[in-house]
Amino acid sequence: MNSRLAWADHRVFEHGDEHLVFGVEDASLFALSDAAHRTLRQWRRQRTLDPDRLQPADLESLQEFCDARILRPLSPKAAPVCRAEPGRTALATLVLEVAQDCNLRCNYCYAGDGTYGGSPTLMDPATSRRSLRYLLEHSGDHEHVTVILFGGEPLLNLPAVQAAVDEADSYGGSLGKKVHFSLTTNGTLLSPEIIRFLNDARISVAVSMDGPPAIHDSNRPHADGRGSYAGIVANLKALLDGAPMPVAARVTLTPAQWASLVEVFDHLSGLGFHEVGVAPVSPVCASLLPSREQEDALMRGFETLAGRFLDEAAMGRILPFSNIIDLLSRLHGGHAKGIACGAGYGYMAIDASGRFFPCHRFTGMTEFQAGDIGTGIDGARLRAGLGELNEGREESCSRCWARTLCAGGCHYENHLRENQLGLPRGTSCRFIRNWLELGIKTYASLCSGDAIRVMNPFLNKRAQC
Amino acid sequence: MTRKKSIKALNQKARAIQKLAEGETKSVEALQQGPPAMPVGCTTIFDTGWETNPRPSNPVGNCQASVKDFPGCAGDCWWPAQVPDGLTNHEDFDKQCANIARDWREIKYD
Repeated sequence: MNSRLAWADHRVFEHGDEHLVFGVEDASLFALSDAAHRTLRQWRRQRTLDPDRLQPADLESLQEFCDARILRPLSPKAAPVCRAEPGRTALATLVLEVAQDCNLRCNYCYAGDGTYGGSPTLMDPATSRRSLRYLLEHSGDHEHVTVILFGGEPLLNLPAVQAAVDEADSYGGSLGKKVHFSLTTNGTLLSPEIIRFLNDARISVAVSMDGPPAIHDSNRPHADGRGSYAGIVANLKALLDGAPMPVAARVTLTPAQWASLVEVFDHLSGLGFHEVGVAPVSPVCASLLPSREQEDALMRGFETLAGRFLDEAAMGRILPFSNIIDLLSRLHGGHAKGIACGAGYGYMAIDASGRFFPCHRFTGMTEFQAGDIGTGIDGARLRAGLGELNEGREESCSRCWARTLCAGGCHYENHLRENQLGLPRGTSCRFIRNWLELGIKTYASLCSGDAIRVMNPFLNKRAQC
Repeated sequence: MTRKKSIKALNQKARAIQKLAEGETKSVEALQQGPPAMPVGCTTIFDTGWETNPRPSNPVGNCQASVKDFPGCAGDCWWPAQVPDGLTNHEDFDKQCANIARDWREIKYD
Protein backbone atom coordinates (compact mmCIF):
# COMPACT_ATOMS: atom_id res chain seq x y z
CA MET A 1 0.00 0.00 0.00
CA ASN A 2 1.44 3.40 -0.90
CA SER A 3 1.44 5.77 2.03
CA ARG A 4 -1.02 8.61 2.02
CA LEU A 5 0.22 12.01 0.96
CA ALA A 6 -0.27 15.28 2.76
CA TRP A 7 0.40 18.85 1.69
CA ALA A 8 3.43 20.33 3.35
CA ASP A 9 2.96 23.85 4.69
CA HIS A 10 3.23 26.18 1.71
CA ARG A 11 2.19 29.61 0.57
CA VAL A 12 1.10 30.61 -2.92
CA PHE A 13 1.91 34.10 -4.17
CA GLU A 14 0.53 35.77 -7.25
CA HIS A 15 3.32 37.50 -9.05
CA GLY A 16 2.41 39.26 -12.28
CA ASP A 17 0.84 36.60 -14.44
CA GLU A 18 2.55 33.69 -12.72
CA HIS A 19 2.19 31.91 -9.41
CA LEU A 20 4.92 31.13 -6.95
CA VAL A 21 4.86 28.52 -4.25
CA PHE A 22 7.00 28.90 -1.15
CA GLY A 23 7.74 25.70 0.78
CA VAL A 24 7.65 26.91 4.35
CA GLU A 25 9.71 24.22 6.09
CA ASP A 26 12.48 24.24 3.50
CA ALA A 27 12.34 27.94 2.49
CA SER A 28 12.19 26.63 -1.07
CA LEU A 29 10.74 28.73 -3.87
CA PHE A 30 9.19 27.43 -7.09
CA ALA A 31 7.40 29.01 -10.03
CA LEU A 32 4.32 27.14 -11.24
CA SER A 33 3.17 26.71 -14.81
CA ASP A 34 -0.52 27.37 -15.38
CA ALA A 35 -1.15 23.63 -15.46
CA ALA A 36 0.69 23.09 -12.17
CA HIS A 37 -1.23 25.93 -10.58
CA ARG A 38 -4.51 24.37 -11.72
CA THR A 39 -3.44 21.04 -10.22
CA LEU A 40 -2.57 22.70 -6.95
CA ARG A 41 -5.88 24.54 -6.79
CA GLN A 42 -7.75 21.36 -7.56
CA TRP A 43 -6.16 19.27 -4.82
CA ARG A 44 -4.79 21.51 -2.10
CA ARG A 45 -8.07 21.67 -0.15
CA GLN A 46 -7.80 17.95 0.54
CA ARG A 47 -5.70 17.52 3.62
CA THR A 48 -4.49 14.08 2.57
CA LEU A 49 -4.49 12.15 -0.68
CA ASP A 50 -4.52 8.41 -1.17
CA PRO A 51 -2.37 7.57 -4.21
CA ASP A 52 -4.12 4.22 -4.61
CA ARG A 53 -7.39 5.99 -5.27
CA LEU A 54 -6.06 8.54 -7.74
CA GLN A 55 -6.24 8.19 -11.49
CA PRO A 56 -2.84 7.70 -13.14
CA ALA A 57 -3.15 11.10 -14.89
CA ASP A 58 -3.79 12.88 -11.58
CA LEU A 59 -0.94 11.03 -9.95
CA GLU A 60 1.35 12.14 -12.73
CA SER A 61 0.37 15.78 -12.41
CA LEU A 62 0.89 15.62 -8.65
CA GLN A 63 4.25 13.88 -8.96
CA GLU A 64 6.14 17.13 -9.44
CA PHE A 65 4.68 18.44 -6.20
CA CYS A 66 6.06 15.31 -4.53
CA ASP A 67 9.43 15.96 -6.17
CA ALA A 68 9.30 19.52 -4.79
CA ARG A 69 8.42 18.15 -1.32
CA ILE A 70 5.29 20.28 -1.33
CA LEU A 71 3.36 17.02 -1.22
CA ARG A 72 4.87 14.46 1.13
CA PRO A 73 4.14 11.06 2.58
CA LEU A 74 1.94 11.56 5.60
CA SER A 75 4.05 10.93 8.63
CA PRO A 76 2.50 10.41 12.04
CA LYS A 77 4.77 12.95 13.67
CA ALA A 78 7.17 15.64 12.61
CA ALA A 79 10.83 14.78 12.33
CA PRO A 80 12.72 15.79 15.45
CA VAL A 81 14.37 19.17 15.16
CA CYS A 82 17.99 19.24 16.18
CA ARG A 83 18.56 22.60 17.72
CA ALA A 84 21.48 24.17 19.52
CA GLU A 85 20.92 25.98 22.79
CA PRO A 86 22.03 29.46 23.76
CA GLY A 87 25.40 29.45 25.47
CA ARG A 88 26.34 26.04 24.07
CA THR A 89 27.57 27.20 20.68
CA ALA A 90 31.06 28.30 19.71
CA LEU A 91 31.38 32.07 19.57
CA ALA A 92 31.66 33.64 16.13
CA THR A 93 30.97 37.30 16.87
CA LEU A 94 31.56 39.51 19.89
CA VAL A 95 30.32 43.08 20.20
CA LEU A 96 32.71 45.19 22.25
CA GLU A 97 30.98 48.15 23.87
CA VAL A 98 34.25 50.02 24.05
CA ALA A 99 32.61 53.34 24.92
CA GLN A 100 29.37 53.64 26.78
CA ASP A 101 29.40 57.32 26.14
CA CYS A 102 28.53 59.50 23.18
CA ASN A 103 29.07 63.02 21.95
CA LEU A 104 25.70 63.06 20.14
CA ARG A 105 22.21 63.14 21.59
CA CYS A 106 20.15 61.26 19.02
CA ASN A 107 16.51 61.69 19.85
CA TYR A 108 15.64 58.00 19.33
CA CYS A 109 18.64 56.45 21.09
CA TYR A 110 17.80 53.11 22.69
CA ALA A 111 21.05 53.25 24.64
CA GLY A 112 20.27 56.23 26.87
CA ASP A 113 22.55 58.67 25.01
CA GLY A 114 25.13 55.93 24.62
CA THR A 115 25.49 55.07 28.29
CA TYR A 116 22.94 52.22 28.30
CA GLY A 117 21.28 53.61 31.36
CA GLY A 118 24.41 53.87 33.51
CA SER A 119 27.04 56.51 33.93
CA PRO A 120 29.43 57.15 31.00
CA THR A 121 32.03 54.35 30.99
CA LEU A 122 34.99 53.54 28.78
CA MET A 123 36.30 49.98 28.46
CA ASP A 124 39.86 49.76 29.71
CA PRO A 125 42.35 48.30 27.22
CA ALA A 126 43.02 45.30 29.49
CA THR A 127 39.33 44.32 29.35
CA SER A 128 39.40 44.82 25.61
CA ARG A 129 42.34 42.39 25.32
CA ARG A 130 40.72 39.86 27.67
CA SER A 131 37.54 40.01 25.62
CA LEU A 132 39.47 39.25 22.45
CA ARG A 133 41.19 36.32 24.12
CA TYR A 134 37.86 35.03 25.42
CA LEU A 135 36.33 35.19 21.96
CA LEU A 136 39.29 33.43 20.35
CA GLU A 137 39.42 30.71 23.01
CA HIS A 138 35.69 30.03 22.79
CA SER A 139 35.39 30.09 19.03
CA GLY A 140 35.62 26.32 18.51
CA ASP A 141 36.52 25.42 14.95
CA HIS A 142 35.85 28.87 13.51
CA GLU A 143 38.91 30.05 11.61
CA HIS A 144 37.40 33.50 11.19
CA VAL A 145 35.66 35.43 13.94
CA THR A 146 34.19 38.92 13.99
CA VAL A 147 34.54 41.72 16.48
CA ILE A 148 32.13 44.63 16.31
CA LEU A 149 33.49 47.79 17.88
CA PHE A 150 30.48 49.56 19.22
CA GLY A 151 29.20 52.14 21.63
CA GLY A 152 28.04 54.79 22.34
CA GLU A 153 30.66 56.20 20.07
CA PRO A 154 33.59 53.77 19.88
CA LEU A 155 36.04 56.38 18.62
CA LEU A 156 35.79 58.08 22.03
CA ASN A 157 37.96 55.19 23.25
CA LEU A 158 40.77 54.62 20.77
CA PRO A 159 43.04 52.88 23.31
CA ALA A 160 40.53 50.04 23.74
CA VAL A 161 40.00 49.82 19.97
CA GLN A 162 43.74 49.64 19.35
CA ALA A 163 44.20 47.07 22.13
CA ALA A 164 41.57 44.84 20.52
CA VAL A 165 43.21 45.06 17.10
CA ASP A 166 46.63 44.37 18.58
CA GLU A 167 45.42 41.36 20.59
CA ALA A 168 43.67 39.95 17.53
CA ASP A 169 46.92 40.12 15.61
CA SER A 170 49.14 38.65 18.29
CA TYR A 171 46.93 36.11 20.07
CA GLY A 172 44.73 35.38 17.06
CA GLY A 173 47.84 34.88 14.97
CA SER A 174 49.29 32.42 17.49
CA LEU A 175 46.08 30.35 17.30
CA GLY A 176 45.90 30.56 13.51
CA LYS A 177 42.61 32.47 13.63
CA LYS A 178 41.71 35.65 11.80
CA VAL A 179 39.62 38.38 13.34
CA HIS A 180 37.52 40.64 11.16
CA PHE A 181 36.68 43.99 12.70
CA SER A 182 33.77 46.24 12.00
CA LEU A 183 33.06 49.54 13.67
CA THR A 184 29.89 51.59 13.85
CA THR A 185 30.59 55.27 14.33
CA ASN A 186 28.66 58.49 14.23
CA GLY A 187 31.41 59.84 11.99
CA THR A 188 32.00 63.05 13.90
CA LEU A 189 35.43 62.12 15.24
CA LEU A 190 37.05 60.81 12.06
CA SER A 191 40.45 62.43 11.61
CA PRO A 192 43.13 61.61 9.01
CA GLU A 193 45.05 59.66 11.69
CA ILE A 194 42.02 57.65 12.72
CA ILE A 195 41.09 56.97 9.11
CA ARG A 196 44.64 55.73 8.44
CA PHE A 197 44.41 53.45 11.47
CA LEU A 198 41.01 52.06 10.36
CA ASN A 199 42.36 51.42 6.86
CA ASP A 200 45.57 49.78 8.05
CA ALA A 201 43.60 47.45 10.34
CA ARG A 202 41.13 46.73 7.50
CA ILE A 203 38.20 47.63 9.72
CA SER A 204 34.80 47.71 7.99
CA VAL A 205 33.22 51.00 8.91
CA ALA A 206 29.53 51.81 9.14
CA VAL A 207 28.65 55.48 9.61
CA SER A 208 25.34 56.32 11.20
CA MET A 209 23.73 58.94 8.99
CA ASP A 210 20.04 59.54 8.54
CA GLY A 211 19.91 61.35 5.22
CA PRO A 212 19.84 64.98 4.06
CA PRO A 213 20.73 67.69 6.63
CA ALA A 214 17.15 68.44 7.63
CA ILE A 215 16.38 64.84 8.58
CA HIS A 216 19.83 63.95 9.89
CA ASP A 217 20.25 67.01 12.09
CA SER A 218 16.81 66.72 13.59
CA ASN A 219 17.59 63.11 14.56
CA ARG A 220 21.26 63.36 15.49
CA PRO A 221 22.23 66.62 17.20
CA HIS A 222 25.33 67.24 19.31
CA ALA A 223 24.88 67.58 23.06
CA ASP A 224 24.73 71.35 22.60
CA GLY A 225 21.96 71.05 20.02
CA ARG A 226 24.08 71.69 16.90
CA GLY A 227 23.40 69.41 13.96
CA SER A 228 26.09 66.81 13.22
CA TYR A 229 25.66 66.51 9.44
CA ALA A 230 28.22 69.10 8.30
CA GLY A 231 30.97 67.75 10.52
CA ILE A 232 30.51 64.19 9.26
CA VAL A 233 30.42 65.10 5.59
CA ALA A 234 33.68 67.05 6.00
CA ASN A 235 35.42 63.78 6.98
CA LEU A 236 33.57 61.47 4.69
CA LYS A 237 35.47 61.86 1.45
CA ALA A 238 38.78 60.89 3.03
CA LEU A 239 37.14 57.84 4.62
CA LEU A 240 35.43 56.70 1.44
CA ASP A 241 38.38 57.32 -0.86
CA GLY A 242 40.94 55.24 0.95
CA ALA A 243 38.80 52.50 2.46
CA PRO A 244 39.98 48.95 1.72
CA MET A 245 36.60 47.63 2.88
CA PRO A 246 33.13 48.88 1.84
CA VAL A 247 31.86 51.76 3.95
CA ALA A 248 28.17 51.58 4.78
CA ALA A 249 25.69 54.21 5.84
CA ARG A 250 23.51 52.97 8.65
CA VAL A 251 20.25 54.84 8.70
CA THR A 252 17.65 55.07 11.45
CA LEU A 253 14.33 56.64 10.56
CA THR A 254 11.45 57.50 12.83
CA PRO A 255 7.94 56.62 11.60
CA ALA A 256 7.27 60.25 10.67
CA GLN A 257 10.25 60.03 8.27
CA TRP A 258 9.41 56.69 6.67
CA ALA A 259 7.76 58.29 3.67
CA SER A 260 11.18 59.84 2.89
CA LEU A 261 12.98 56.53 2.52
CA VAL A 262 13.82 56.88 -1.18
CA GLU A 263 15.01 60.45 -0.75
CA VAL A 264 17.23 59.38 2.15
CA PHE A 265 18.67 56.48 0.17
CA ASP A 266 19.41 58.66 -2.86
CA HIS A 267 21.07 61.30 -0.73
CA LEU A 268 23.37 58.87 1.05
CA SER A 269 24.32 56.83 -2.00
CA GLY A 270 24.96 60.20 -3.66
CA LEU A 271 27.46 60.98 -0.92
CA GLY A 272 29.43 57.96 -2.11
CA PHE A 273 28.63 55.33 0.52
CA HIS A 274 29.29 51.87 -0.83
CA GLU A 275 26.10 50.58 0.74
CA VAL A 276 23.10 52.03 2.54
CA GLY A 277 21.07 50.08 5.08
CA VAL A 278 17.95 51.38 6.74
CA ALA A 279 16.55 50.45 10.14
CA PRO A 280 13.11 51.55 11.23
CA VAL A 281 13.60 52.98 14.70
CA SER A 282 13.07 50.72 17.70
CA PRO A 283 9.98 51.82 19.63
CA VAL A 284 11.78 52.76 22.82
CA CYS A 285 8.72 54.81 23.74
CA ALA A 286 5.10 54.70 22.62
CA SER A 287 5.51 57.86 20.52
CA LEU A 288 7.90 55.97 18.23
CA LEU A 289 5.36 53.24 17.46
CA PRO A 290 4.26 53.52 13.84
CA SER A 291 0.73 53.79 12.57
CA ARG A 292 -0.45 51.43 9.87
CA GLU A 293 -0.26 54.28 7.33
CA GLN A 294 3.34 54.95 8.27
CA GLU A 295 4.18 51.25 7.88
CA ASP A 296 2.54 51.29 4.46
CA ALA A 297 4.51 54.37 3.45
CA LEU A 298 7.75 52.64 4.40
CA MET A 299 6.73 49.53 2.46
CA ARG A 300 6.04 51.65 -0.63
CA GLY A 301 9.54 53.06 -0.29
CA PHE A 302 10.96 49.54 -0.05
CA GLU A 303 8.94 48.56 -3.13
CA THR A 304 10.35 51.49 -5.08
CA LEU A 305 13.90 50.57 -4.13
CA ALA A 306 13.29 46.88 -4.87
CA GLY A 307 12.07 47.90 -8.34
CA ARG A 308 15.18 49.97 -8.86
CA PHE A 309 17.30 47.06 -7.65
CA LEU A 310 15.78 44.94 -10.45
CA ASP A 311 16.37 47.67 -13.05
CA GLU A 312 20.01 47.90 -12.05
CA ALA A 313 20.38 44.11 -11.93
CA ALA A 314 19.09 43.85 -15.50
CA MET A 315 22.04 46.00 -16.50
CA GLY A 316 24.47 43.93 -14.48
CA ARG A 317 24.77 46.42 -11.64
CA ILE A 318 23.93 46.21 -7.96
CA LEU A 319 21.87 48.90 -6.25
CA PRO A 320 23.71 49.30 -2.93
CA PHE A 321 20.64 48.91 -0.73
CA SER A 322 21.68 46.57 2.10
CA ASN A 323 18.20 45.56 3.22
CA ILE A 324 17.15 44.06 -0.09
CA ILE A 325 20.59 42.58 -0.78
CA ASP A 326 20.58 40.74 2.55
CA LEU A 327 17.05 39.47 2.09
CA LEU A 328 17.67 38.32 -1.48
CA SER A 329 20.85 36.49 -0.50
CA ARG A 330 18.95 34.56 2.19
CA LEU A 331 16.13 33.71 -0.19
CA HIS A 332 18.65 32.71 -2.87
CA GLY A 333 20.15 30.04 -0.64
CA GLY A 334 16.80 29.08 0.87
CA HIS A 335 18.05 29.44 4.42
CA ALA A 336 15.37 28.25 6.81
CA LYS A 337 15.84 29.67 10.28
CA GLY A 338 14.96 27.78 13.44
CA ILE A 339 16.04 30.64 15.66
CA ALA A 340 15.47 34.34 15.18
CA CYS A 341 19.06 35.53 15.33
CA GLY A 342 22.47 34.59 16.60
CA ALA A 343 22.09 36.43 19.93
CA GLY A 344 23.24 34.08 22.66
CA TYR A 345 24.29 31.42 20.17
CA GLY A 346 27.42 32.45 18.29
CA TYR A 347 26.86 36.13 18.98
CA MET A 348 27.36 37.93 22.29
CA ALA A 349 28.01 41.45 23.51
CA ILE A 350 30.32 42.53 26.30
CA ASP A 351 29.88 45.91 27.94
CA ALA A 352 32.53 48.42 28.96
CA SER A 353 32.89 46.87 32.40
CA GLY A 354 33.17 43.31 31.05
CA ARG A 355 29.62 41.96 31.52
CA PHE A 356 28.13 39.64 28.90
CA PHE A 357 24.72 40.19 27.28
CA PRO A 358 22.93 38.24 24.51
CA CYS A 359 23.40 41.15 22.12
CA HIS A 360 24.36 44.82 22.07
CA ARG A 361 20.74 45.88 22.36
CA PHE A 362 20.39 44.27 25.79
CA THR A 363 23.52 45.90 27.19
CA GLY A 364 22.95 47.26 30.70
CA MET A 365 19.70 45.35 31.26
CA THR A 366 20.65 43.30 34.29
CA GLU A 367 17.82 40.80 33.81
CA PHE A 368 19.56 39.71 30.61
CA GLN A 369 23.14 39.77 31.93
CA ALA A 370 24.82 36.39 31.47
CA GLY A 371 28.14 36.28 33.28
CA ASP A 372 31.20 38.44 32.94
CA ILE A 373 34.71 38.28 31.59
CA GLY A 374 36.00 36.93 34.92
CA THR A 375 33.62 33.97 35.20
CA GLY A 376 32.78 33.52 31.52
CA ILE A 377 29.41 33.36 29.79
CA ASP A 378 26.71 32.04 32.13
CA GLY A 379 24.76 29.70 29.86
CA ALA A 380 21.99 29.09 32.37
CA ARG A 381 21.31 32.83 32.79
CA LEU A 382 21.45 33.30 29.06
CA ARG A 383 18.93 30.53 28.44
CA ALA A 384 16.69 31.78 31.22
CA GLY A 385 16.63 35.37 29.89
CA LEU A 386 15.97 34.45 26.28
CA GLY A 387 13.69 31.58 27.27
CA GLU A 388 11.40 33.78 29.33
CA LEU A 389 11.20 36.34 26.55
CA ASN A 390 10.23 33.70 24.02
CA GLU A 391 8.01 31.47 26.14
CA GLY A 392 5.28 30.14 23.86
CA ARG A 393 6.42 32.15 20.84
CA GLU A 394 7.20 29.07 18.80
CA GLU A 395 3.61 27.96 19.20
CA SER A 396 2.22 31.35 18.22
CA CYS A 397 4.51 31.40 15.16
CA SER A 398 3.74 27.81 14.19
CA ARG A 399 0.90 28.71 11.84
CA CYS A 400 2.72 31.57 10.09
CA TRP A 401 4.09 30.95 6.59
CA ALA A 402 7.01 33.29 7.29
CA ARG A 403 8.27 31.46 10.37
CA THR A 404 11.36 29.96 8.73
CA LEU A 405 12.42 33.35 7.38
CA CYS A 406 11.67 35.35 10.54
CA ALA A 407 11.66 32.80 13.38
CA GLY A 408 10.03 35.23 15.79
CA GLY A 409 11.90 38.44 15.01
CA CYS A 410 14.30 40.58 16.99
CA HIS A 411 14.38 39.70 20.71
CA TYR A 412 14.89 43.32 21.69
CA GLU A 413 12.07 44.66 19.52
CA ASN A 414 9.79 42.01 21.01
CA HIS A 415 10.92 42.95 24.50
CA LEU A 416 10.17 46.63 23.87
CA ARG A 417 6.77 46.03 22.37
CA GLU A 418 5.56 43.29 24.66
CA ASN A 419 7.26 43.93 28.01
CA GLN A 420 7.90 47.69 27.98
CA LEU A 421 4.91 48.94 26.01
CA GLY A 422 2.54 46.13 26.97
CA LEU A 423 1.44 45.35 23.43
CA PRO A 424 0.15 41.89 22.54
CA ARG A 425 2.36 39.56 20.55
CA GLY A 426 2.49 39.99 16.82
CA THR A 427 2.13 43.75 16.36
CA SER A 428 5.00 43.83 13.89
CA CYS A 429 4.11 40.59 12.06
CA ARG A 430 2.07 42.18 9.30
CA PHE A 431 4.90 44.50 8.35
CA ILE A 432 7.51 41.74 8.48
CA ARG A 433 5.40 39.43 6.32
CA ASN A 434 4.84 42.20 3.75
CA TRP A 435 8.57 42.81 3.62
CA LEU A 436 9.36 39.11 3.17
CA GLU A 437 6.71 38.81 0.46
CA LEU A 438 8.28 41.77 -1.34
CA GLY A 439 11.64 39.96 -1.15
CA ILE A 440 10.15 36.73 -2.53
CA LYS A 441 8.56 38.54 -5.47
CA THR A 442 11.67 40.58 -6.16
CA TYR A 443 13.72 37.39 -6.13
CA ALA A 444 11.29 35.71 -8.54
CA SER A 445 11.59 38.70 -10.88
CA LEU A 446 15.36 38.39 -10.70
CA CYS A 447 15.03 34.72 -11.68
CA SER A 448 12.76 35.42 -14.63
CA GLY A 449 15.53 37.13 -16.55
CA ASP A 450 19.23 36.63 -16.96
CA ALA A 451 20.06 38.79 -13.94
CA ILE A 452 20.12 35.91 -11.47
CA ARG A 453 22.99 34.26 -13.32
CA VAL A 454 25.06 37.43 -13.02
CA MET A 455 24.04 37.94 -9.40
CA ASN A 456 24.63 34.34 -8.32
CA PRO A 457 28.24 34.67 -7.07
CA PHE A 458 27.45 37.96 -5.34
CA LEU A 459 24.43 36.59 -3.51
CA ASN A 460 26.31 33.41 -2.55
CA LYS A 461 29.14 35.42 -1.08
CA ARG A 462 26.80 37.74 0.72
CA ALA A 463 24.92 34.84 2.27
CA GLN A 464 28.12 33.75 3.99
CA CYS A 465 28.61 37.13 5.67
CA MET B 1 13.90 11.35 -21.37
CA THR B 2 13.39 14.37 -19.14
CA ARG B 3 9.92 15.83 -19.16
CA LYS B 4 9.52 19.56 -19.28
CA LYS B 5 8.96 20.62 -15.71
CA SER B 6 5.81 22.48 -14.86
CA ILE B 7 7.23 23.44 -11.47
CA LYS B 8 10.42 25.41 -11.88
CA ALA B 9 12.86 25.63 -8.98
CA LEU B 10 13.84 29.24 -8.40
CA ASN B 11 16.21 29.26 -5.45
CA GLN B 12 19.09 26.98 -4.56
CA LYS B 13 17.13 25.08 -1.92
CA ALA B 14 14.36 24.34 -4.41
CA ARG B 15 16.92 23.04 -6.91
CA ALA B 16 18.54 20.85 -4.26
CA ILE B 17 15.13 19.39 -3.37
CA GLN B 18 14.30 18.60 -6.97
CA LYS B 19 17.69 16.96 -7.35
CA LEU B 20 16.93 14.77 -4.35
CA ALA B 21 13.86 13.52 -6.15
CA GLU B 22 15.79 12.47 -9.24
CA GLY B 23 15.73 8.71 -9.58
CA GLU B 24 12.98 8.36 -7.00
CA THR B 25 10.39 7.52 -9.61
CA LYS B 26 9.32 3.89 -9.26
CA SER B 27 10.99 1.51 -11.65
CA VAL B 28 9.70 -1.69 -10.09
CA GLU B 29 6.66 -2.36 -8.02
CA ALA B 30 6.36 -5.16 -5.54
CA LEU B 31 3.47 -7.39 -6.46
CA GLN B 32 1.63 -6.84 -3.23
CA GLN B 33 1.51 -3.07 -3.74
CA GLY B 34 -1.46 -1.44 -5.32
CA PRO B 35 -4.68 -2.96 -6.56
CA PRO B 36 -5.25 -5.81 -6.91
CA ALA B 37 -3.87 -6.30 -3.43
CA MET B 38 -2.98 -9.96 -3.91
CA PRO B 39 -1.15 -11.30 -6.90
CA VAL B 40 -2.31 -14.59 -8.19
CA GLY B 41 0.31 -17.25 -8.41
CA CYS B 42 3.99 -16.69 -7.88
CA THR B 43 5.60 -14.14 -5.67
CA THR B 44 8.81 -12.35 -6.41
CA ILE B 45 11.86 -13.72 -4.68
CA PHE B 46 12.28 -10.60 -2.56
CA ASP B 47 8.88 -10.91 -0.97
CA THR B 48 8.93 -11.28 2.73
CA GLY B 49 8.69 -14.97 3.36
CA TRP B 50 6.53 -16.98 5.69
CA GLU B 51 9.25 -16.60 8.33
CA THR B 52 8.44 -12.93 8.92
CA ASN B 53 5.54 -13.75 11.14
CA PRO B 54 5.93 -17.19 12.65
CA ARG B 55 3.44 -16.34 15.38
CA PRO B 56 -0.14 -17.49 14.89
CA SER B 57 -1.29 -13.92 15.08
CA ASN B 58 -2.03 -10.98 12.89
CA PRO B 59 -0.89 -9.85 10.49
CA VAL B 60 -1.35 -13.23 8.95
CA GLY B 61 -1.49 -11.38 5.67
CA ASN B 62 2.16 -10.73 6.10
CA CYS B 63 2.75 -14.26 4.89
CA GLN B 64 0.14 -14.50 2.28
CA ALA B 65 2.28 -13.99 -0.76
CA SER B 66 4.53 -16.85 0.25
CA VAL B 67 1.58 -18.85 1.41
CA LYS B 68 0.21 -18.61 -2.07
CA ASP B 69 3.53 -19.85 -3.34
CA PHE B 70 3.19 -23.25 -1.86
CA PRO B 71 0.01 -24.40 -3.47
CA GLY B 72 0.49 -22.05 -6.40
CA CYS B 73 3.97 -23.03 -7.40
CA ALA B 74 4.02 -26.64 -6.38
CA GLY B 75 3.07 -29.48 -8.66
CA ASP B 76 2.84 -28.34 -12.19
CA CYS B 77 4.24 -24.88 -11.58
CA TRP B 78 6.76 -23.69 -14.12
CA TRP B 79 8.85 -22.01 -11.41
CA PRO B 80 9.41 -24.32 -8.51
CA ALA B 81 12.40 -22.53 -7.02
CA GLN B 82 10.72 -21.20 -3.92
CA VAL B 83 8.84 -24.30 -2.93
CA PRO B 84 9.84 -27.82 -2.22
CA ASP B 85 10.16 -29.85 -5.34
CA GLY B 86 6.73 -31.45 -5.35
CA LEU B 87 7.27 -33.26 -8.66
CA THR B 88 10.01 -35.67 -7.74
CA ASN B 89 11.55 -35.42 -4.30
CA HIS B 90 8.80 -34.13 -2.00
CA GLU B 91 5.62 -35.21 -3.61
CA ASP B 92 3.57 -34.96 -0.42
CA PHE B 93 5.24 -32.04 1.14
CA ASP B 94 1.98 -30.23 1.83
CA LYS B 95 -0.10 -33.20 2.74
CA GLN B 96 -0.36 -32.18 6.38
CA CYS B 97 -1.15 -28.62 5.53
CA ALA B 98 -4.83 -28.14 4.96
CA ASN B 99 -4.31 -24.50 5.56
CA ILE B 100 -0.78 -23.60 4.76
CA ALA B 101 -0.90 -20.30 6.60
CA ARG B 102 -1.87 -22.15 9.74
CA ASP B 103 -0.13 -25.47 9.27
CA TRP B 104 3.10 -24.44 7.60
CA ARG B 105 5.11 -26.08 10.38
CA GLU B 106 3.91 -29.45 9.05
CA ILE B 107 5.51 -29.02 5.68
CA LYS B 108 7.78 -31.96 4.94
CA TYR B 109 10.52 -31.55 2.45
CA ASP B 110 13.91 -32.17 4.00
